[in-house]
Amino acid sequence: MENMLTIRVIADVWERHLMTMRTIEHLHMFSIALMLSIMIGVSVGVFIYMRPKTADPVLNFLNIVETIPDLALIVLLLPILKLGAGPTIAACVLYSILPVARNTYTGLKGVDEQYTYVAHAIGLSPREALFKVRIPMSLPLIAGGIRIALVFCMGVVTLGGLVAAGGLGTVLQNGIQLYQKDAILVAGIWTGLLAVILDGFAGIIEKKLHERYGTW
Amino acid sequence: MQTERLFERIDSIHLEGITKKYGHGFAVKDLDLEIQGGELLILIGPSGSGKTTALRMINRMIEQDAGTVTINGINTKDADPVRLRRNMGYVIQNIGLFPHMTIGENIGLVPKLEGWDKERIKERVRTLLEFVSLPPDMFMDRYPRQLSGGQQQRVGLARAMAMDPPLFLMDEPFGALDPILRKQLQKEFLKIKNEINRTIVFVTHDIEEALVLGDRIAIMNQGELVQVGPPEELIFNPANELVADIVDTQRKFKHMDTLKVKDLMSPFDEKYVLEGRTETCDAVDVMTERDLETAFVFEGERLIGQVTMVELMKCRTRSQKLSDVARPVKIFQPTDSVAFALSEMKSTGEYLAIVMNSNDPIGILISDEVLLKLI
Amino acid sequence: MVILETVLEATWEHIVLVYTTLLVSIAVSLPLAFAALYSKKIEFAVMKFANLVQAVPSFAVVAIMVPFLGIGFTPAVVAIMLRALLPIIKNTYIGLSNVDPALIDYAEGVGLSQWQIHRHIRLPNAYPAMFAGIKFAGILANSIAVLTAFIGSGGLGEIIFQGLIGYNTRTLLAGAIPAIMLAVLIDVSFTMLERKVTPGYVKE
Repeated sequence: MENMLTIRVIADVWERHLMTMRTIEHLHMFSIALMLSIMIGVSVGVFIYMRPKTADPVLNFLNIVETIPDLALIVLLLPILKLGAGPTIAACVLYSILPVARNTYTGLKGVDEQYTYVAHAIGLSPREALFKVRIPMSLPLIAGGIRIALVFCMGVVTLGGLVAAGGLGTVLQNGIQLYQKDAILVAGIWTGLLAVILDGFAGIIEKKLHERYGTW
Repeated sequence: MQTERLFERIDSIHLEGITKKYGHGFAVKDLDLEIQGGELLILIGPSGSGKTTALRMINRMIEQDAGTVTINGINTKDADPVRLRRNMGYVIQNIGLFPHMTIGENIGLVPKLEGWDKERIKERVRTLLEFVSLPPDMFMDRYPRQLSGGQQQRVGLARAMAMDPPLFLMDEPFGALDPILRKQLQKEFLKIKNEINRTIVFVTHDIEEALVLGDRIAIMNQGELVQVGPPEELIFNPANELVADIVDTQRKFKHMDTLKVKDLMSPFDEKYVLEGRTETCDAVDVMTERDLETAFVFEGERLIGQVTMVELMKCRTRSQKLSDVARPVKIFQPTDSVAFALSEMKSTGEYLAIVMNSNDPIGILISDEVLLKLI
Repeated sequence: MVILETVLEATWEHIVLVYTTLLVSIAVSLPLAFAALYSKKIEFAVMKFANLVQAVPSFAVVAIMVPFLGIGFTPAVVAIMLRALLPIIKNTYIGLSNVDPALIDYAEGVGLSQWQIHRHIRLPNAYPAMFAGIKFAGILANSIAVLTAFIGSGGLGEIIFQGLIGYNTRTLLAGAIPAIMLAVLIDVSFTMLERKVTPGYVKE
């Protein structure tokens, strides 16, 4: 490297590439995608738990989705959802359903039968037993799945830059196309840092949940 | 979901011809049994006798293949199972407190689902915890894993009482506890039972427990009812050999004059020892950790007396030294006769005594254990 | 309109890129995994680094190559390797270290050398975990190889990027569909290979 990354260089890149706005776009797409992933993933997990016969086919299908290259998946969705944030968010969700659903399913299945028995015996309806006992007791595992989904979403959202979805991927794309090393470095490190920080934060929450809800 | 009360009090429960098949055999076969309102009915019998199955058919955790269960004339098949169960308190051996909820949340769960407001729930939880001798401020916000086995079982009892149900179903509630703890909780439960005056169906395999607690005892064997009646009737008028065998208290006393205390005591364990200078608050923690309800206080080698968890928690408001609160304890020599020891203990109502060889504690004598060992 | 020849050529480039990276990754990973068995420091560094890098978006990893290595095949291989190494090392290490210590004691007792113990006891025991790691790395490599076309690695990604420029759906699909087929192929072939090399006594 001929010139070091000074504060001045960073500030300059930040300004020129509108990185505050890009970061907001990035996190905006990311949070929508993660929310949808959690909602759909947990629902799918609960569904396959309630209808055990569907579990294997659903999980096998989601496993196949998982092998599709992320960029190819976004491209497949382009003709349906057009350019913009749509295909990127949809791809995030498709990838993230598996970890959330699988962990929800495993968690629900893993709750010790004695607690479900007691729940029913003291007069909880099946629905109340699910929401008050089974789901809370599976939270540590569900959180583990959400953490994996978080990493997936961060990765896919960054690709969004290549299909005009905005976000920090746009800065990386411009940096590479214009061969601006500073821009690539600043945006690359910032994107990585953001992902690592969010993942670390999720890790802390996961650990707390283990302490709070983990059976001994 | 708010459910209406099915019944305010129990007039009678009728099990008529109930049968539950189990593989090729019967778990319960054509059982007729009447439970009267306000009584504590014991279901007892060897394992596989169908006593637990019979109990679980009352709250429809198990559905019978034939026959009817009616409560105050209402066929339980016609009642919504969730509503039915909320009218009954349920206590089981492994307690099943939810590990992700505090003690307060565990006890207040059903009231919360019934839509009670926060203040009312809190008030109810406090009352119940006090009722089972657990200071509310100390226990409300703890998690089940922070409690000893005995404390958890008390919480289990408090949870069953949350909705003030007219009927309690208890499935070997003290079965998993050690003998000393079991005796202590039985004593407290008897007090509670007299205070709340509710109908209770109680499953056990321990005839001592049955004789102490039961108003009537139903003896079951291989899915069938063998005999039902008050304890005296079973003892003096056993229907057959099996009943006589189970309740025969005569034989228990026959060797009592020849046996010595040392033959029937349980070995002493260091875990029962607390130092006299220990503060009461610290003692509660130590006893929780060691799962003790009763401990012996020593100053060096010298025995001062005994303390119980329930008493210690009462004087928690101002901390004292154990040496100041310890109560006297009966002391026997290993060579004392069992008959002498038991009559001494009976006269003061103690169920526990310590056995000393000159100055060394070598054993613990538990009145009920002694009786059981004599059988 | 894309010509079939272009697609076949890109597919070949893609395969070369993925398998080159995978082979290099395996060659680098195995010694590191064994090294982690001997040194707590290496173990700690490998595990920490593995978890950290897994969180970094692939596009950021690919982009950061450019200032250091420029564009082309080599930076692409390095970028893919950075992501593909870790699942292999991590899984292999877990497999190697999860051997019943009594078995190792016994092997030492009957006079097997360290090398023989590694070769005949630890390694076969680690196969299932190792192959799961390699399969995962292969799928990951196939996925990132699409992306590295953006820094001039060639492969199926190049067709996709051409399609993006003019927003030509047919061109897009001509790149995406073979890439998906390759992913499925990797998944299936490695699953089969895994079954074949897993010794009978560790099969479920």
